[in-house]
Amino acid sequence: MSERLNVKVGETSLKSPLILASGTCNMGRELSEIYDLSILGGLSSKGLTIKPRAGNEGVRVAECKAGMLNSVGLQNPGVEHFIKYDLDFMKSLNTGVIVNVAGHSTEDYIDMVKTLDPHKDKIDALEINLSCPNVKEGCMSIGSDAGQVRKIVSTLRELTDLPLWIKLTPNVTSISTMALAAQEGGADAVVLINTMLGMAVDIKTRRPVLRNNTGGYSGPAIKPVAIRMVSECYQVIDIPIIGCGGISEASDVLEFMIAGAAAVEIGTASLVIPDAPVYISEELEAWCEENDTDIASLTGTLKLWE
Amino acid sequence: MNKDHFCEVVSKSMLNEDTALIEFLCPEIAQNAIPGQFVNVACSNFLRRPFGVASVDKDMGTFKVGIKIIGEGTEELASMEEGEGTWVLGPLGNGFDISSDKFILVGGGTGVFPVNFLYEKLSSEGKNVKVVQGFRDKSQIIMNDPSYILTTDAGDAGLKGNCCDGLNTLSDDDIKDAVVLCVGPMPMMRAVASWADSKGLKCSVSLEQRMACGIGICLVCTCKIKAEEEGIPFEHKRCCKDGPVFDSKEVIW
Repeated sequence: MSERLNVKVGETSLKSPLILASGTCNMGRELSEIYDLSILGGLSSKGLTIKPRAGNEGVRVAECKAGMLNSVGLQNPGVEHFIKYDLDFMKSLNTGVIVNVAGHSTEDYIDMVKTLDPHKDKIDALEINLSCPNVKEGCMSIGSDAGQVRKIVSTLRELTDLPLWIKLTPNVTSISTMALAAQEGGADAVVLINTMLGMAVDIKTRRPVLRNNTGGYSGPAIKPVAIRMVSECYQVIDIPIIGCGGISEASDVLEFMIAGAAAVEIGTASLVIPDAPVYISEELEAWCEENDTDIASLTGTLKLWE
Repeated sequence: MNKDHFCEVVSKSMLNEDTALIEFLCPEIAQNAIPGQFVNVACSNFLRRPFGVASVDKDMGTFKVGIKIIGEGTEELASMEEGEGTWVLGPLGNGFDISSDKFILVGGGTGVFPVNFLYEKLSSEGKNVKVVQGFRDKSQIIMNDPSYILTTDAGDAGLKGNCCDGLNTLSDDDIKDAVVLCVGPMPMMRAVASWADSKGLKCSVSLEQRMACGIGICLVCTCKIKAEEEGIPFEHKRCCKDGPVFDSKEVIW
């Protein structure tokens, strides 16, 4: 594999800017049967909580134009189960191991980080999920209050030396205020963006399609929003940004990186074309060769109009 | 192993005004699919559309799916003609356990397609197979064989009634030690599962949920299944990966 795709997110070296986004790759088992995940820079686990969660009632998915809504609601086997049955498997994939940490309260996040920290030799970064829109408490409600973001990140900072990547929600008035708060709390990077809160209506029944009423909108439709947010935050913060939102082809990755992303996450694209990252990776390598450049040199080279 | 195949349509027929039977060329799927498995087919809409495999021809390297037109995606796929092609991910899901020697198959709605595949496979292996089909009325009858027990709600063809009325015409000999495999709408499968239970027969059903990936990575197509662990009321299992076939006694209806 070409070294031209190597990137760094703060102190964390990744062999490629491509990371599989949490919630769109489970723990990697299913996709590892389809392609060799070692081509990736990393894989972010399904969002984990202290206790197992059954998730929301169905219907959990609604197709939209250029994307979809989901309301899975953090269904996961719990962090202890993850450590026992999934972490070693993820480590064996020979790619960056990112563990997505969710919770309903500050105490939950503290417990999660304390539980995961002893396994730091198998983990490359903790992705702190302050942005899931499908649970009633915690996550997005923390991530949409700058004071709470700063406080929770600084609390977690005291508990671990593992890189803390803070995954933020776009469902706020000012994303850069939240990113700044994460930086002030001691975050190593921010991940922009989680899904956008949305709704679809069944005309016949006049009910929301999703049993949860609302869900998170993902897919190519949200890409321009995500890129604007990456660019906006890049002007304001000094820590690296991992871009996420609607990436489905190599040119999308280039756009995100030019706008300020040091790496990117591929999410919903995997649900439609499971091996999309293979093609994206090959095209990125070819682009780097053609332009005789390393991918990392693209980050933040956007020339905004005066 | 890459499971995504670009498949060309080699034949297509309309079974009634809103249901097409399409045959795709794909030796890998034809060779590997077992009854109860499905394929996830790309269309112009954002997500793929899942269809139970209706038949395979290993010699020709083809497989068939039945497509009932529900919305834009299925309308587009049902209008495909010979020579056109699309991306097909599969075969997916667990499929039925067909290791027994004696079966009762029950199909309704689009469930008649996987039941057709089951019938082809089991009868080719010389197994003892009875088939019951249920439809709303005569106009809906598809994938029928004269040997089947046919029922219609309207009573304008076959026996008037539902699948359970059809099952009740089976003799004690037909029923003894048979395994029931059922694919159809939820109320039908629930009734058939209850019928099987009353006769002391093992029954498997194929569940259907709105799906996205089809390969078990997104967790949107979950169904409620009784938990193995005590103290937990149920588990959300993935219809696409843990199923679609489940033991009817595990299903929380």
